[in-house]
Amino acid sequence: MNTPAISIQHLVKEYRPKKGLPIRAIDDISFDVQSGQIYGLLGPNGAGKSTTIKILTTLTEPTSGTVTVNGFDIRSQPLQVRKNICVVLQENSVDEFLSVKNNFVTFGKFHGMTKKEIEVRAGRAIELFGLQDVLSQQAMDLSGGMKRRLQVAKMFFTTKSIIFLDEATTGMDTFNKRATITAIKEEARLGRTIVLTTHMLEEAEELCDAITILNHGKIIASGTTNDVKKMGLQIFYLSLKFKEVSKQLEQELLQIQPLQITVERSAIDMSVREHEAALRALSVAQSSGSLVHFEISTASLEDVFVHLIDEKKGALV
Amino acid sequence: MMQNSLAVVYRDALIRTTSLMWLFFDMAVPLLYLLMFGVGLDKAVGIGVIIKGTAVSYNEFFLAGVLAMSCFGSAINQSYAFFHDRETGIFYEFLTYPMTRGEYLFGKVLFQCIMSVVQALLTLGAAIFILHIHIKIVLLPLTIAAVIMGISGWFFILAIGAFIIRRSDAFNTFINVAYFVLMFVSSMFYPLDSVPHWIQVIASFNPVTWHTDILRYLTIGVGNFSMIVKETFGFLFFSGLMFVLAVRTLQKAV
Repeated sequence: MNTPAISIQHLVKEYRPKKGLPIRAIDDISFDVQSGQIYGLLGPNGAGKSTTIKILTTLTEPTSGTVTVNGFDIRSQPLQVRKNICVVLQENSVDEFLSVKNNFVTFGKFHGMTKKEIEVRAGRAIELFGLQDVLSQQAMDLSGGMKRRLQVAKMFFTTKSIIFLDEATTGMDTFNKRATITAIKEEARLGRTIVLTTHMLEEAEELCDAITILNHGKIIASGTTNDVKKMGLQIFYLSLKFKEVSKQLEQELLQIQPLQITVERSAIDMSVREHEAALRALSVAQSSGSLVHFEISTASLEDVFVHLIDEKKGALV
Repeated sequence: MMQNSLAVVYRDALIRTTSLMWLFFDMAVPLLYLLMFGVGLDKAVGIGVIIKGTAVSYNEFFLAGVLAMSCFGSAINQSYAFFHDRETGIFYEFLTYPMTRGEYLFGKVLFQCIMSVVQALLTLGAAIFILHIHIKIVLLPLTIAAVIMGISGWFFILAIGAFIIRRSDAFNTFINVAYFVLMFVSSMFYPLDSVPHWIQVIASFNPVTWHTDILRYLTIGVGNFSMIVKETFGFLFFSGLMFVLAVRTLQKAV
């Protein structure tokens, strides 16, 4: 089996505030990212996604555990790790005093590119991200979305084998998001490994070959995107329309113990676990005599995500 | 190693060319201090000042102070740049670039040294040709070396402040206090022979005093040689210590 591009084993990261108990941001997580994969790290705010990215990119050291990037240990070989990666951080980090063009030039120099290489590759990135019209503008004069576009474009201008994108499409308009998604797909096709964090689950669903869902620093689901989505095959969403919704009907549906239910005038939306429960709900709806329309669907990645996070919350209460 | 550090120099040079105000502050402000503040006080003092039994004009006395001040001022500028980079987030991106923390800091200090040497040469030129101060030209290479030594020490200590302090108001206070205390409790503006004893004691532990005394000895030849040697070693130790601390702070700056 090939050596994974990234290997994380029993990673723990604790922050020690001046006052109070240590905060465990990452709590014993392990997973591998294979070369050429697009790998998604998902989770709500504070789940530990950005901390994981910071450790993988040598910005901060782990408390314990082993992490290798292209076979290099992040503790003992941080420089070798940095020679293999490029990173879009959550901050809108562009060189504000420099023009857009010079942002590319300096970035290229930092990554050891020749003048010729900078010209050729910058031209491609500039075109891909539609930055031609703002090349001579100072980065500080760009809008937030344009700054983000520049920042992301810089990553696709190098030839590093691993790219980290921490909420890369945040603040972008639809056009830029589409350009970024196309670029990510294209680069992965060329064999680059891409690790991304995102809040937008439809984006993850479209892009990622594999995902890990984190919550409170722990892994709550991990595997190929299809595997994780399959977890949602046992969750059914029912959209029911009636002539009228009686109290009795509502009570009968509640007895099925749905995961979630909303009643709005003559419509009821509910989710249930297992197909038997879905059939029972349909049967109850049918026997009410006022059912006019129904729809059943399995869960999307977003539904699975929300369900898993809610389940975790319930377990914590 | 040099390639990475030169990339840092290149980036800083590009930024300076986009801001004439910044370039002006780096290049001309110390010069104007010498030509305006120095000349004004020279006329006011009239008879000049006496250092270790040697009488010199205030212009001659103040020249070393201006050179030391320019090193300190440039380091302050650079620490503001650090702070700004951290606030905008680009600083963290730099830390993911394929270079060591030491290379990054070396590039930063190298650029500042180049700026300070140009600035020192402009100041010395003005001293020779406008104020007609007799400078020990033979010691010029050592004067330049002392300027480089000074900028390095100040750069590292102020960079530590920029890495540690998160709030801009706190950082401004840190810079102002450092500027006020270190420069005014030193031999930069007045000879220490004539100030109260407690100021003399504090000033003798102040690296600004050491740096100014070294530059004064090298430019106009005034000072106690054995004391200058001690102050040189003291400043080199101070700079080395600050470099080590700056690298360690940078490694934990996230």
